[in-house]
Formats: sequence, C-alpha cells, structure tokens
Amino acid sequence: MTPNLPAGSGAAAEHRQLLAESVADFATRGTDLARVRRLRGTSAEYDRAVWKKMAELGWLGIVVPERYGGLGLGLAEMAIVARGLARALVPEPLTATAVLAATALAAAENDALKEEQLPRLVAGELLPALAWQEQAGGLDCTAIETRATPFEGGFKVNGVKRFIAGAAQADAFLVSARGAGGVLLLWLPREAAGAQLKLEPLADGRSFGSLRLEDALVPKSRVAASGAAAVEALGRAFDHGCAITGAELTGVMDRALEMSLDYLRTREQFGKPIGAFQALQHRAVDLHIHRELASAVLEEALAVLDRGPAAPARAATASRVKARCADAATRITREAIQFHGAIGFTDEFDVGLYLKRALVLTAWLGGASWHRRRYARLAPGARI
Amino acid sequence: MSPSASNRDYNAMSDEDFRREVRAFFEREYPPQLRYILHRARWREMKDWWRKLYEQGWIAPNWPRERGGMALDAGKMVVYLEEMERHGVARPPDQGITQVGPLIMRFGTPAQQDHYLPRTLSGEYIWCQGYSEPNAGSDLAGLRTAAVPDGEHFVVNGQKIWTSLADDATHIYLLARTGKGAKKQQGISFLLVELRSPGITLRPIRNLAGHEEFCHVFFDNVRVPRGNLVGELDDGWTVAKALLGFERLSIGSPRRPQYALNRLEAVARAKGLFDDPGFVDRFTALKLDIEDGATLYGRFVEQVKRGEPLGQDVSMLKIWTMETWQRLTELLIEAGAEQGVVAGVHDVAGVETDFLNPFYYSRPATIYGGSSEIQRNILAKYVLKLPS
Repeated sequence: MTPNLPAGSGAAAEHRQLLAESVADFATRGTDLARVRRLRGTSAEYDRAVWKKMAELGWLGIVVPERYGGLGLGLAEMAIVARGLARALVPEPLTATAVLAATALAAAENDALKEEQLPRLVAGELLPALAWQEQAGGLDCTAIETRATPFEGGFKVNGVKRFIAGAAQADAFLVSARGAGGVLLLWLPREAAGAQLKLEPLADGRSFGSLRLEDALVPKSRVAASGAAAVEALGRAFDHGCAITGAELTGVMDRALEMSLDYLRTREQFGKPIGAFQALQHRAVDLHIHRELASAVLEEALAVLDRGPAAPARAATASRVKARCADAATRITREAIQFHGAIGFTDEFDVGLYLKRALVLTAWLGGASWHRRRYARLAPGARI
Repeated sequence: MSPSASNRDYNAMSDEDFRREVRAFFEREYPPQLRYILHRARWREMKDWWRKLYEQGWIAPNWPRERGGMALDAGKMVVYLEEMERHGVARPPDQGITQVGPLIMRFGTPAQQDHYLPRTLSGEYIWCQGYSEPNAGSDLAGLRTAAVPDGEHFVVNGQKIWTSLADDATHIYLLARTGKGAKKQQGISFLLVELRSPGITLRPIRNLAGHEEFCHVFFDNVRVPRGNLVGELDDGWTVAKALLGFERLSIGSPRRPQYALNRLEAVARAKGLFDDPGFVDRFTALKLDIEDGATLYGRFVEQVKRGEPLGQDVSMLKIWTMETWQRLTELLIEAGAEQGVVAGVHDVAGVETDFLNPFYYSRPATIYGGSSEIQRNILAKYVLKLPS
C-alpha cells in the first residue's frame, strides 16, 4: 500500500480500487463462512493467524500515522476494508482494534507509549481494545464512574468497564477513568494485577468483554492522555468507530440483499420464480433504495470526516452515518429472512448470520434513535 | 431568436460564478409575491416573468444558442434549477420549453422547427401535454385517441385527461393511435394541435386543493394538418420516450419538500413541540430522510456533470423524495392540530403557514410522471433484474 495520497486525486482513486480488490480477494480466499461458524461462541472468537495476515496486508495501520509505522491514510480507505470484510462476516476485530483503540491511542499525548505500542498494533503483534463504556446505553465518553486515585506516582484504578468489543484475545486495554484532575486514558495489560475480564456472549457468536478493575495499578508512564486530550481522544475514537461500523453495516446489507435477490430470482413457487411477484419486487426495490441511501451517506460522511472537522460536526456526521446504516441494515436483514421463508429461520442457512451481525453492529456504539437525537442537537443549524 | 439572446458561453464559466449570476438575477427580478407559491403557476401570473426571462435570453436554459437558448450543459442546468428552487421561482407553463421544443428540434422537420420554436420561445405559443386518457394512465400505451388520415389532414377523435394548464395553452402535443402494431407501443403518432381548432372542448377539473389546474380535453372530428406530424407515422412512442432521464432527476430533487420542512420547523418551535422527545425523533428522522436523499441525489448530479447518461436507477430518487415529502406534509398537518385542518394561510408566530396545501400538492407527486408503483416496476426489472 502507498501512504499519503491526496484525497480525490486520480492516484487516490486508483489506490482505493486496488485496495478494494485486495479486500475482495481476501474475502473469497482468506476466509469463509465455515470458519465464521467454527469460531462463533468460542472463547477465542477470532484467529490471531488471520489477524497477522491482515496486518501484513497493511490494514491494521490504515489510520495510524506513518511515524508510528502506519499508513496515515483516512477513514475512506478503512471503510473499504471494513465493508468488504463485513460482507464475509470476518470475525477479526478490525473496527474495535484498528479503529477504536488505534484512533484513541494515536490521538493520545504520551509519545513514548505511542512509539512503543502503535507499531506493534500495526504489525498485528499486540491487540489492544478500548474499554470506555460502563452503562448500557451510556454513550457519553465522559460519563465515567471508574476512579483513578494517585498511588506511588501512578494510579490505582477501580471500576467496571463493559461492552468491550474485541476483548476475547485482547492483550491490553485502553481504559478511561476519572481522576481528581479530570478524565484519564490509561494503558493496562490484560494480565495486570487487579484486572479481571469476563466475556458476555453476543447474538452473532462474538462477545463483549467486561473488565473489572480492583486496585489495578497503572504507572505514570502508562497514562496515555489526560484532561481535554483524553476526552478528545475518546470522542474521536467513538465517532470514527461509529462511521466504520456504518461501513460494516453496509457490507452486511450488501451481502444480505444480494442473497435475497438471488433467492427471488431462483426460488420457484406457483410455477414461477417468486421474484416475479410484484408484492416481493416492490419490497426488494425499497430495500435497494435503503442500501443506496446508506451507501451514499457513508461515502459523503467519510469524505467529511477525513477533512478533520471540529468535534460537533464530526459527531453529527458520525451519527448521521450510524443512524442511516443501522436503519437500513436492520430493515434489509429482517426482510431477508422473510424473503427466504422457513429456510431463513434455520441456523444452517447463512442469511441468519447476517441478521445477527446487523443486530450487534446496530446496538454497539449506539442505535439509530440515539444517534438521531444526537444529530438533532449537533447538526449545523440545529436549534432543537 | 430572442431579442437579446446572448452568445455567451455559460458553460465556460465556473459553477460558482454562474450560480452567483443566476442567483443575483432571480433575487433582483423575480416577483416576490410569486416566491414559493404552492399551486401550479398560471400564465396570467407568469407572463411578465416569461417576458423578462425571454429578454434576458434565459427562458430556455436547455435549448441550443442558435435557437435562442442558453445551451447549458447538464452541470450548469443543475445549478440553474437549484437556484430556481432555492429562491422559490415557480415554473411557468413551460412544457413548450422543456418538452415539446426539444422534441421538435430532434424529430421535427426544418419547417416545423422554424415555425414552432421561435413562437414557443417568445410565449406566443403555450403548450400542454396530451398523453393520459381516462383508460390510459400508468398504462399509457393503451391509449385510444385515434388520428385517421384523410387527404392532407388527420381526423382526431377521442379524449385526453389530466392535461395540466390546458386552459392557459394555445397548443397541445398529442399521442394518438394511427395504426396497429404487434406491440401496443407501435402505431402511435406524435401530433401538434392548435387548441382553438374546431371540435376541441376543454372541461377544467377541480383538484383536491380546490384549484382547476388540469383539464379534460375532448376531440370531436378535429382536423389536424398532416404537416403537424412529428417524427415518423406510427413511431410517436420513440419521440415521447426521448425525454425521460433528466426529467426524473429534476423531479426527484430534494429541494421539493423544503417548504414543508421549513414550515414544520417553524410551527414546531412556535408550539414547543421540540420539548416532546417523540416529536423530535420523528422530525429528525424525516429531516435526515431529506438530507440523506439529497446526498443520493448528489451522486446522480455528479454523474450528469461527468457527462455520463443516467440509468434506470434514477427512478429511486423520485420514489424517495416524493414519498418523504408526503410524510413530511402529514406531520405538518398533525403538528398544526385543529389549526392544521383550517383552510388558508395562518400566521404561526410570525411565519405564514399553509398547512393543507402542501399536504394536497404532495398527493399526486407519487402519481404523476410515472407513479411510485411504475417506478418500482422499472427498478425491479432493469436494476434488480428480477424476473417477470
């Protein structure tokens, strides 16, 4: 991959085309749904060998600056990978680690920590996850109960972090906590004393981690950011995570719609393909329109986010994407089950895997209603 | 040629410069009382504006310069339409400019072109469209109005309906059956007919909004010169079909619902509806439906600007925009509560608001120009490639 191409240039377009091709190639030859089925419900959840392969393809460093071993590209490139892999339901935690954790760490202040950890993240050697959330539906990055109290020059941390995606094989966590001086972003190895991880099984066969911290010790050198910088790092990671989750949702709906249309063209009842019935045709058209809307909004939002807008515009844009993509994926994957009839309700048939993935991606990082409310508050010209 | 038809090459201007010039002209010259009117503009209201545009050389943005038009390319055309919509500039009865003019240029004889085009440009000839019939709506090719050759004339019998502004028009362009083919699209011819011809009767039809904007047109042994046939005999379907595409882009413009959205926002603020989280969710969902639709529209506009032809997928814009517009006007009525069903213009916290008219005028939006159902059929067949 070639880093740092000016957006909109012919070279950038060509580069994105190549990227899309390598993602499509990986999705057909580097993974399959049998692997997805094998890993679901296991404590491993994903495959570190595949993760390493993704690192070799450069994908883990797409949004990491070059000076930390990354490619310094934008969300537009990251979205190509996320959308393409989501089509194949690739279980490796790309968004959780290579977007959320990588963005938060790259935006942090502690340069020594970044120089030490980011290149390892990019190389696929070290897999960190961002542990920021505490309450279900509590999406304000600054609503933090976890306490960090000064101890021997560092901090002693107590609290519970929940809904941590990618936690299953995470080697370390970036933990948000509240100290006397405001918000802190702390680096904590998985094996740290006082840190206990539990996994909660999800609808899609993956898991959320719950991280219980009891007097977990964080030396000063592992404070990634504090105060306004920590809040900014968390906010940016959340917003960029929402946008790339939108890309994943779009990949999920791409494939679910494709499967549905194939089925409508081939499944015969009453002596003809069921896709010849107008009642089903019109519903399929509506799903197609929703997918096109989601795809158009995603593309525009990525361009906006890659220009680096101020925090309120960034948040409004991210919310617009998440709301639209969540709605469209929800609608498409549910209708996909109905189109398939009884076979769609079987575990054996793949379309159900897409329904479940859409469920999780919709709930994670905030559902459509939450994002619409945030958009209403933050959108340009909003006076609600 | 219009008197001052300039030889300016608008396409050589930057979009920004062109936009600025168009905007300034509309702001300076367009009659303020005609901004954002909800009804279909009538000739008597619009004839001064027509004259102004004609003198400016701007009445026919889509026509070539040698015919007195602005010769705008697709990108500049989009800018021109966007500025019309932004300033609330109504469409005059312009079917001569947008529809029949381009068809005469493409399929008409030199004599037809020299006769009709300058008179259409100047507003001497005002056109209406004679396509739909009582039994040929969505199934337009099922039309039955007959034109039978008789010496140097056709004799036309039958009826046309939903003919917008026929009582403002001087001429009608007509699809009539002249023969029978293997397919019902064959054997149809495209005719130009003077509305004052003996045997033509107009009966205005009152619509749900209480306005008489369309007519029922009856043809009783109307004699039409053979020289008024455009294109080949029995090949009128080809002529009529040549217009689609760009029309479906402009008809799906996301600015269409803007009036209703602005009023809804003003009404909601005046009535304190934004304190109701349920309302906020519905309002924001609709607002995003419009904004996201605008983003989708932008994709098609970019395609036009790159000079690529629009495919059948452009049908999705009309479906989305018009159906969103309807839902918006429904929420506007609901927001008005009892006031929402009181006819006329209301003063809502200093904002002039008509609750009912947007609701009424968004009803036929999913019917005309190819109903939502027809658009879905098109998408199912040509885009999704579903079997039939």
